[in-house]
Amino acid sequence: MENRNLKKDLEQLDSILKEQGISRRDAMKMMGLSSAAFMMGSGTEAEAATEVRASSAKGKVLIIGGGLSGMSTAARLRNSASDVEITVIEPNGLSTQYQPGQTLVGGGLWPKSEVIYHRDDFIPNNVTVIEEKAVEFDPDNNTVTTDKGTKVSYDYMIVAAGLVLNYGAIKGLEAAGEAYSAGDNKKLVDVLNSVGACSIYTADGAEATWESMQKFIADAKSGKKVNGLFTHPNTPIKCGGAPKKIMYLTNARLNEAGARANANLHFYPNGGAMFGIKDYHTAIVEQFKARDFKWSYKHNLIAVDGENKIATFNHHWKEKGEWDEDLEEYGVVLKSEEVKVPYDFLHITPPMKAPTEIANSKIGSSKGWVPVKKETLQHAKYKNVFALGDIAAIPMGKTGGSARKQYKVVVDNVLSMMETGSIPATNKEYAGYTVCPLITNIGTVMLAEFNWASKKTGSGANAALLPIDPTQERYIWWLLKIYLLKPMTQYGMLSGRA
Amino acid sequence: MIKKITTLTLATAAIFALTGCGDKTAPKEVTTYKYTTVQVYEKTCIKCHGANGEGNPEKKTPALNDRTPAEMAEDLYDVKNGGTGYGGSGTDHEIMEHNMQKLIDKGYDYDINSMAEFLSYLAKNNKKNK
Repeated sequence: MENRNLKKDLEQLDSILKEQGISRRDAMKMMGLSSAAFMMGSGTEAEAATEVRASSAKGKVLIIGGGLSGMSTAARLRNSASDVEITVIEPNGLSTQYQPGQTLVGGGLWPKSEVIYHRDDFIPNNVTVIEEKAVEFDPDNNTVTTDKGTKVSYDYMIVAAGLVLNYGAIKGLEAAGEAYSAGDNKKLVDVLNSVGACSIYTADGAEATWESMQKFIADAKSGKKVNGLFTHPNTPIKCGGAPKKIMYLTNARLNEAGARANANLHFYPNGGAMFGIKDYHTAIVEQFKARDFKWSYKHNLIAVDGENKIATFNHHWKEKGEWDEDLEEYGVVLKSEEVKVPYDFLHITPPMKAPTEIANSKIGSSKGWVPVKKETLQHAKYKNVFALGDIAAIPMGKTGGSARKQYKVVVDNVLSMMETGSIPATNKEYAGYTVCPLITNIGTVMLAEFNWASKKTGSGANAALLPIDPTQERYIWWLLKIYLLKPMTQYGMLSGRA
Repeated sequence: MIKKITTLTLATAAIFALTGCGDKTAPKEVTTYKYTTVQVYEKTCIKCHGANGEGNPEKKTPALNDRTPAEMAEDLYDVKNGGTGYGGSGTDHEIMEHNMQKLIDKGYDYDINSMAEFLSYLAKNNKKNK
């Protein structure tokens, strides 16, 4: 069956190549060499293609956070400007963990060891790492102080400190407190286990999710009617597709066990749609219907009662209000109620926020995220401060795919600032590119690619990698997700090249 | 054989992604608006947010002149699109999301960055007047 799917995809690829007058064989030849070179991690062709600039810029660059965004930025800066002094402040030794693999760990397809990577294996040459946490920010004097009292000064600062998973904001999970995706999260897992819930947003949590899922499937197989709930909070989140991906994988595993008929699978997002891009929203609704998934929009998880296995949601909606003279229309009033739902399996996507010490500092904002001009990633107030990745206040960001576009823009702009004191209009702007390889089954992925210009119906394809319908679930994208994205990220991106 | 072809196909896809063949720079949205940014503000927003974007406590409308253009652009994006995320988080501005949609339906659409810059101009102007 997989081969048949592949054949169909390849036939489609052939017809596209044919339109451009290239045979598949020629395309393979053309691409084969560069890909092999790239996969070896040395390829000159790959390097040439990514246009690393050669800059004579001098000065001190401080990077806050050594996760995927921070380390890739450090590497690309180092590749581009040998005279720049680069320091990264990162307390977590596992900060370069491969987070996109956590869904696969949660679905029992990868062991946890597949996503664990050590920060120290990805430190570029001649880059200083301070293993402390930056806690005080004084952008008026260009200094940062760490939790151990180390004061670091900079000419330019790049903030890539990530986001915090705020499990403790849910009533009943107070003991879980806050967590980062990487590192030791055994305590968090204990708290989630104690209420019969799970969450793939940490590596430890992903491993525990698979255990929890297996129990759920065993119950369904034994003939018990079971209820599985999947939540999506009211804050921006990293990887907006993950709350659904784990639901699709639960469904696939239930089917595999021949136990799907005994399980109810229900999705509870806070928002009023499946996806912010219309084409993908429509495709997902159809996928949900085909799998007999249930869903309830505008439900935000606010409490978990572990003893009775009941999840409480804030259900909110709008009703027609009074005539609004200014608007010359009827206004709306907001209504809400509490909805209690019993569960046997509860996958929680927690509320997320910027780390408090940054949110409350001068570089933060009322919402916490570091405010930047979204096209240049330059701070809204401080011209020598940039931000990228999960912590940046950017619409639709917060994926590894967005970071892959953002870090090149940041490096380019920081170097321009160092060289000339301004960002020329010719520098490439960030256009909101995001990619969400939505796992829809074991063996299929919908490669949802989009950017800020993808909002209108029929425009979802404008950001797509290949000119084939991006709303289709495909076996080739499953192979991309399973085999290629990790080496691309861990060896291409973290080396600053791809 | 199939396996070999698969690997090569994937390598092709990956290389498109890496080298930028597939990395189309998103075309800037070229939209012709019915009214200019200033006209939109003066015909609609001003009624509730005031001549200088100062807000109106009686109407429970917030000030719009207390943010940098970058921050304002983020908020306008949220209100126009029902949130800043893509997966289903929703918006913090449900009432204004409704109102904005009604205004857009009536032809009062605008460019986010242009409006953010204009509000910043109003804020500066306001300080000068004081």
